[in-house]
Order: sequence, then C-alpha cells, then structure tokens
Amino acid sequence: MRSPRWSKMRRDASLHKARTALVVLAIVVGLAGAGALLDAWALVRQVTAQTFVASRPVAATLRLDRVDDALLARVRDMPAVAAVRARRVVFASIDVDGRRTRAQLFSLSDWNSRDIGRLSPERGTWPPRDGEIVLEPSSLEFAGARFGQSVRVSVGDGAPVALPLTGITRDVSLPPGWMDHAVYAFVTPATLAQLGASAAFNEIQFVVRDSTLDRDAVRRIANEARALTEQAGGRVTNIAVPPPGEHAHAAQMDSLSMTQGAFAVMTLLVCALLVVNLIAAMLAAQTREIGVMKAIGASARQIGALYLGFALAIGVVASLLALPLSIAIARPYAAMKLDMLNFLVGDVAIPVWALALQFLIGCLLPVVAAALPIARACRLRAADALRDIGIAADGGHLRRRFSLPWIGRPLQLSIGNAFRKRQRILLTVLALAAGGAVFLGADNLRSGVRDSVAQLFAGNRHDVALRLTDGADAARVETIASAVPGVTAVQALTRATTVLRRDDGLDGDAFTVVGLPLSSPLLTPAVLEGRGIAAGDGNVLVVSRSLVKNEPTLRLGADVELRIDDAPTRWRVVGLVDVGSQPLAYAPVAALNAARGDQRASALLLTTAARDPAAQLETILRVRAAFDEAGIALGGSELMSETRRAFEDHLLMVVQFLGVMAWAMIAIGGIGLASTMSVGVLERTREIGVMRAIGASDRAIVTLVQVEGLIVAGLAWIVSLIVSMPIGHLLADAFGRVMFAVPMQTLPNARGALIWGAMLLVVSTIACLWPARRAVRLPTARALAYE
Amino acid sequence: MPSNADSPSAPLIVLDQVAKTYPGPSGPGLSAQFHALAGIDLEIHRGDFVAVVGASGSGKSTLLNLLGGIDRASAGRIVIGGRDLGAASERELTAWRGRNVGIVFQFFQLLPTLTAVENVMLPMDFAGIGSSHDRRRRARALLERLHIADQADKLPAALSGGQQQRVAVARALANDPPILLADEPTGNLDSRTADALLDGLSDLVREGLTVVMVTHERRAMAHASRAVSLADGRIVSGARADA
Repeated sequence: MRSPRWSKMRRDASLHKARTALVVLAIVVGLAGAGALLDAWALVRQVTAQTFVASRPVAATLRLDRVDDALLARVRDMPAVAAVRARRVVFASIDVDGRRTRAQLFSLSDWNSRDIGRLSPERGTWPPRDGEIVLEPSSLEFAGARFGQSVRVSVGDGAPVALPLTGITRDVSLPPGWMDHAVYAFVTPATLAQLGASAAFNEIQFVVRDSTLDRDAVRRIANEARALTEQAGGRVTNIAVPPPGEHAHAAQMDSLSMTQGAFAVMTLLVCALLVVNLIAAMLAAQTREIGVMKAIGASARQIGALYLGFALAIGVVASLLALPLSIAIARPYAAMKLDMLNFLVGDVAIPVWALALQFLIGCLLPVVAAALPIARACRLRAADALRDIGIAADGGHLRRRFSLPWIGRPLQLSIGNAFRKRQRILLTVLALAAGGAVFLGADNLRSGVRDSVAQLFAGNRHDVALRLTDGADAARVETIASAVPGVTAVQALTRATTVLRRDDGLDGDAFTVVGLPLSSPLLTPAVLEGRGIAAGDGNVLVVSRSLVKNEPTLRLGADVELRIDDAPTRWRVVGLVDVGSQPLAYAPVAALNAARGDQRASALLLTTAARDPAAQLETILRVRAAFDEAGIALGGSELMSETRRAFEDHLLMVVQFLGVMAWAMIAIGGIGLASTMSVGVLERTREIGVMRAIGASDRAIVTLVQVEGLIVAGLAWIVSLIVSMPIGHLLADAFGRVMFAVPMQTLPNARGALIWGAMLLVVSTIACLWPARRAVRLPTARALAYE
Repeated sequence: MPSNADSPSAPLIVLDQVAKTYPGPSGPGLSAQFHALAGIDLEIHRGDFVAVVGASGSGKSTLLNLLGGIDRASAGRIVIGGRDLGAASERELTAWRGRNVGIVFQFFQLLPTLTAVENVMLPMDFAGIGSSHDRRRRARALLERLHIADQADKLPAALSGGQQQRVAVARALANDPPILLADEPTGNLDSRTADALLDGLSDLVREGLTVVMVTHERRAMAHASRAVSLADGRIVSGARADA
C-alpha cells in the first residue's frame, strides 16, 4: 500500500501540473540537446574506431621518381613493415554535363588489399577496369555525376576522354570530396595512359607492424625505406607521415566535440537553474506544511527525501521523454559529422553506455540542483516554519526608490513585484541571459569569421590560380595570359615542394614554398609578426601560422635547413603570415629559383574582367586554349571565389551549431520565465483579488504581469550583453584552436544586440501570456479567499 | 538526575523558570527584545485537562509551542515524562514529539493534498509505527471514533471546519501519545460542533490522556479540570494543580 508521503508528492505535482510540466519540458529540451551531443560523440568515436582504424590506414607515403616491383618487394621485406602498395596520383579536370571541376585520380598496385588502406566498394565495378572510372561517393554529388553516366576527364592540356562511371567505392582515408571541392576517382594505369598522363607508379605506401609506434618512429622507418630506394638508384622527393591511427580531421573533430560538450554542460546548468526555481517556489509555498510535518514528527531526513523524491521523479520523467528525442537527433547529427570524415554511420548503434550515462545525468540533475534549497528548507525549525506568513514584503524598498512622479503606480508595482523574490528572479534572469550570451557570442563569431576570411583573402587579389604542369618562362607565361580577352592582370609564380630537415635528422612533412617577387600585386599575404619579403633579401622565409603549428621550429628568427629537390639549403624565418589552414611559406623568387636550380614559373595568377563564376570559367577556358596553342601544359585551376566560399562555409558550419545551441538555451530560458511568472502570479492571487476588488480591470492586471516580465527580460538583456563578452572571447579562442584564428571582438555588435532584444521582447510576451490569463481568470471572490 | 516521572504522583510536565524571548522590532522607543514568556513555573499531572487562558499576546501559543518541543525556551527547564527537552537535539526532539505529543492546530493545518485518512496515517508513517496496512486500519478506526469515517477518502477542501478539526484530532492521536496539545481547537467551529469536540476530548482525558488546551472560550474552560491564566507572559494563577 502506498505511503501517504508519496501520495502527497504525486498530488502536489498534479496540483501545479502546468508549472511542473513547463520545467519538465525545459529539462527535456536541455537533456535532448545535451544527450544528442553525447550520443553523437559516442557514435562518432565508435564508427571512427570501427571504420578508420579497421581500414588499416597508410602509415607513410614516399614519393619517388619511379617504383618497380623489386623496390616494392624490398620495402615489403623490411621487418617493421606489415604491408606495402604502390600508387600514382594525377591531378585532372572532370567535366560532367558541362560542369568542370578539379579532380584527383588514384591508381593503385593492389586494389583489394585487406592489409593496407582498405577500400569499400559500394556499387558497381571494383576494381576499376581499363577505360572506366570509379568515383569516391563523397565526390558524386559534388561532381554532379550519376552512376552509369559518361564523364569527360582531361589531364593537363590533354584532350578530354569520355569514361563511363561504372563504380562507387569509398576510401575513408580521404577527406570528403565535397569538403575539399575536388572529385576523387580511381582509374587503372592504362586509363591514365589513355588520358595522356604517366602510368608508372611514383609512390610507395606502407603500414607498420607495430601500431603503437609514434610519428617519429614511423618517420625513421620511412627514412630507412628512403635509404633502400636510394641504394636501388631511385630518388625520393617527398615523405608524408600522418599522425599514426588518426584521421586527418580527428583533432578538429575532438576539439569541436569538446566545445559542443562545454555548451551541453551550460545548457544543463540552465536547466538546473529552472529546477532550483521550481523547487524553491514549491518549498516557499509549502513552508507551513513542512512546519506541520515537523510538528507531527517528520525528521529533516524524511522531509528531504520527500522533496528529493519529487526532484528525482521530474528527472526520471524528463529523461524518459528526452532519450528517444536525443537518439532521433543524435543519429542524423552523427551522420553529418561522420560525413565530414567520409565515414558512414551504417547500422552502428549508439553505445549503451552513452544512453545509460545520459539517463543517469538526466535523473540526477534535478536532484543535485534541488539539494541546496531542500537542505535549507529541512533545516527550518518547526516554530519558524509554522510562523511563515507566506507572501514576503520584498521589493518594497525598490518600490519606494522608484517612487518618482513620472513613474506611474502600476509600473512601480511591476518593478517591485519583479524584485519580490530576488533569488528566483536572479536565476530566471541568468537562465535567459545564458541563451542570449551564446546567441550574441555566436553572432560575434560569425562576423569575426567573415572578417577573418575577408582579411585572409584580402592578400589574394587574384581571381584564378593555374598550375603549369612542366613550368615555363615567367615573362612568356605572363605575355600569353595578358593577351587573352577577359584577363585584366597576370602574375607568374614559382612554387616548390620542400621538407624541413629537423634537428634529429628526420624530415618533416612536405610543404609548399611560394616564390614572391618584391612587387607582388596579385598575392600579398598580410604579415602578422616580423616582416615580409624586402629588397636585398637572400634566403629568407615568411611562414604561415598553420605551418608553424606543424613545425614549431620554424619560429621567428630561426635558422633552418630545407631540402628542395633533395638539395639542402639554409633559410632564416623573418615573418609570420596567416593564410588559413594551408601549411606554406613564402620566399624571394630569386632565392627560391636558385635553390631549385630552375628559373621557370610553375604557377600563374590572374584577375578577370568577369565577376560571376560561370563567366570566369569561360575566361579560364580561353586561357587554356591560348596556352595549348603556345605548347605550354596547364594543370589544375582554382577559382578564388569558390575556394573562399568553400572555406567560409566550412568554418560557418561550426558557428551554425552554436546558433542552434543558443536557440535551445533561449527556449529553456523562455520556459523558465513562464514558470517564474506563473509562480509569482499564484503567490499573489489574493493580492490580485484585492486589486480587482478595488477596481483594477483585466487589462490592467495583464499589463502588470506583462510589464513585470519585460523588466525581467530587460535585465536578462543587460546581463547577456555583459556575459557575451567573455563568452565571445572563449568562443574565438576555441574556434582558433579548432579551425583558425579569428579576431576577438570584445563588444557585442549592435545589430546582434538589437535582434536579441527584439527576440527577448517576443519571448517575454509569449512567456507571460499564460500567467497573465491565469491572473484574470480566477473569480475575484475566490482570489480573495485564496490561502 | 533521578527521574520520578513514572511515579503516579509525580507531575508529567514540569516547567521551571522558563522564559522565551524574541528579537524585538528596532526603532526609537522600542526594546531590543520581546519577552513572550518570563519566569514560568508550571506542573501538569497525568490525566489533567488544563485550559491555558489569557488575553491575546499573553503567551499562550508560545507556551504550547514550548511544551510540544516546537520551539525552545530561552531560559529555564522543561521536563516532560522525565525528559529534559532543552538537552535534546532537533532530531531527538522531532522523534520524541512524534511519539509523545499530539498537536491540534487552531486552523487544522491538514495537508491539503492528502485525504482525511492519509492525514491521520502521516504521523504513524513518519514514526515508522506498524505496517502500511496497520496504519490505514488504525487511521480509519480513529476517524470512526470521531464519527467521521465516512469522510475518510475526501480531501480537506471538501470537509467542513468541524470535520477538518475532527480529522486533526484523529491525526494528533495517531501515535497514541500521552499528551495532546490543542491551540484554540474550537476557535473556528460553531457551538454545537465545538461542544461535541470538547466532549470528545473529555472522554480521552478520562481514558488517561493529558490535554493542554489554549482557549479563550468559557465553554472550553468548563470542560477543563484546571485553568492556567497567563498575562503579559507570566502565570497569574493555576501553576499547580492545587493552586
């Protein structure tokens, strides 16, 4: 048989079911959001482990002048090496129904190896056959291609060749093609030859036996492989060693997840504030009941258990409702994140431990939040509790302070009412302000990102970048390009791939050095520290921030050794620039050419008269035709506007998430305001009855409630402006670590502040509608008799 | 100190120079402390039906709160059934009160979301007396005795003042306490209901219950075996049974 205590708990909840339901709803929103983030993170981790690690990712890639079977066998026989394969990567263009995009074609010596870089055929032919092309699924939509159709592929200035798209195969080691704005495809060496490209493999890839080796250890093994190659008469031009067992975007994903986790915790804290308000209001209304229970023999522990039980019940109900919601959100969200890693979520289930943890947190959150007010209530002495007169006279001093002739009595009343229960109002203001602060912070970050991208690309005063396949005389290249209709400015550039020779004798990862003339009208990276290229400079480098992140020895003032085309040269770092996520450096063109032993330009920048992408592509085609006629081979091209858009979209995806979090928190804050206002109206039932008895109209009462809500909203607006400043800094800092540096804007921007103010107006009006209606619905006589 | 509380002639309740002061309102001409009770010496024997009378503000309810252990004396000793209430912690007082004192409040103070029978079960629930089944059975029996069993499953809002007060009395008797404290139990009742309640209390006294009742009604005083008069926080008469 049920104890009367639990009957009391159940019926107390039922008595104030609307208010309780509001708080439960707020907790459900918060738990669903936070739970979805936890579930999605757990799912992404699980799939990453199952997919990426299981794919046996390549530990190192050596680029050589040539690869033959004997060399491959010698590397395979190295004790530390578990599996090898040969590869060739060719840059190309792909034309699908008139839409031309850049592409990377991969050709492998072993398509079906289970021991290195496993590929997952999803549809059609595998491995690719001669004269056919297989696309990576992440590139399919970007290319605008359909399975089975014919696509036109061209390499450099070679004639386009129609290849049927006969298969779709996933390579989880590649980032999504849509993210990199590139089409990834697989073709046989014979198909490469058909396209006019070299068909010989020029890369050796291997997997090490010991999966616990760190990056430097793998680099040492790669150097041994290089030594073998050189013994066999080959030449290694580049060694790439990714962080072992880590997807290229794993660090970013982890940082993003941590940032999201922080906001999930914040959301839960806001929910906790609402629970404190609900429980505190309930305890305030039941102070005398608590006194009676103590008088008839209830211990503090028994009373505490009663109200903690109520809090636990709220938590259990909210968790049960939130769980399916969070699962429903988590799977598509995880799928979206996995898509960014080029993984499929498949049938992998959300780990049970994540669901259990979410449920536990949801159940315990209200208990923990309510513990302090309940403990305080339990410590009340029976005599003090029985003496409780109910409505306190708080706010009277504020009412007196605001007693100015130009402030009408009703407004004075609203101001006083707003501050009657200061702790309750404070918690409500904080709950509302939290959402607003995140909203303003995200808005600032969005502006900051756009400004940063604009700043980043400000130095790129060109519209198109073209690669010269074999290099050519700079002056000749510029002359040819200048003569093409629609081209308004040209600049030839030198580029070289280099590696840093580290102090321990190992080579770092390859990066690009761009040779800049003193006057570089189309490419002027903004210097952050130190200086740019100056007259009289010899072997100096201006390095990008992202390069220094990978190679910390490239700090300002450092004297380093670079290996360009295998030849060591020494350079001094004189400046630091920000060019986004690309690790590269700039050097005086003369010094770079001397180091390369080659004066030829390897890239061309140009500006076009046309501003829209379609017309710019037309110009590029004319340029290609002109170079083709001049016998100079052109490789891939890059449209700056598209690169900038892709870059900005990629960054803004993170900001969009913050916007969603802000909306969730604002919703919770709004529910909290509705709950607080309804409690306030209930407590003042008799007072409202008296006002109606002495002539206050329904409209006057409703206005009183609405104005009180607006005062709370106004306070929340002010607090959110203040709190948004440190939040904005934290966001910019976290963003800088996850993505790239964004200038920190201290003050919230005016437009965002006004929009937030307008939103608060709407939230407050909606939140107060129901309590205001309640205030006028009760007949005056009943209101006067209310106890 | 040896206890003679169990001796039939020994008083059940002894107050020795008990005082109760509260912090007073501040302001010019106002004292820093308010003396609700001062120098109270009182003895109540088992089976006494004591009416505590006095004008409003004389300290009657304060005296009742001290007897019930709801409040603590600022000075003096209160010994009930051999137990010095001043020496007990809050937890000990609560547990003692649950089993030894039944309290009937002026405004009934029933829990509004519990039915009549559940209100009566509550003290037994807190004291852990009997099984749930036993508590419900005893609660119904008490309501039956007070002629209100037919209202057992109704919420207080559905009961009249007299019915609520009878439920309150049943609740006070739930743990079979030796002492019943009643603060103006007939204050909100009509005369007929009040007489019925007082008759009921007299019956309980005859069965051995000790009742201390704060009242200002003559009809209530007529039921008591003795009256203790309070004025300005002091006993002016009736401090001892022979007084």
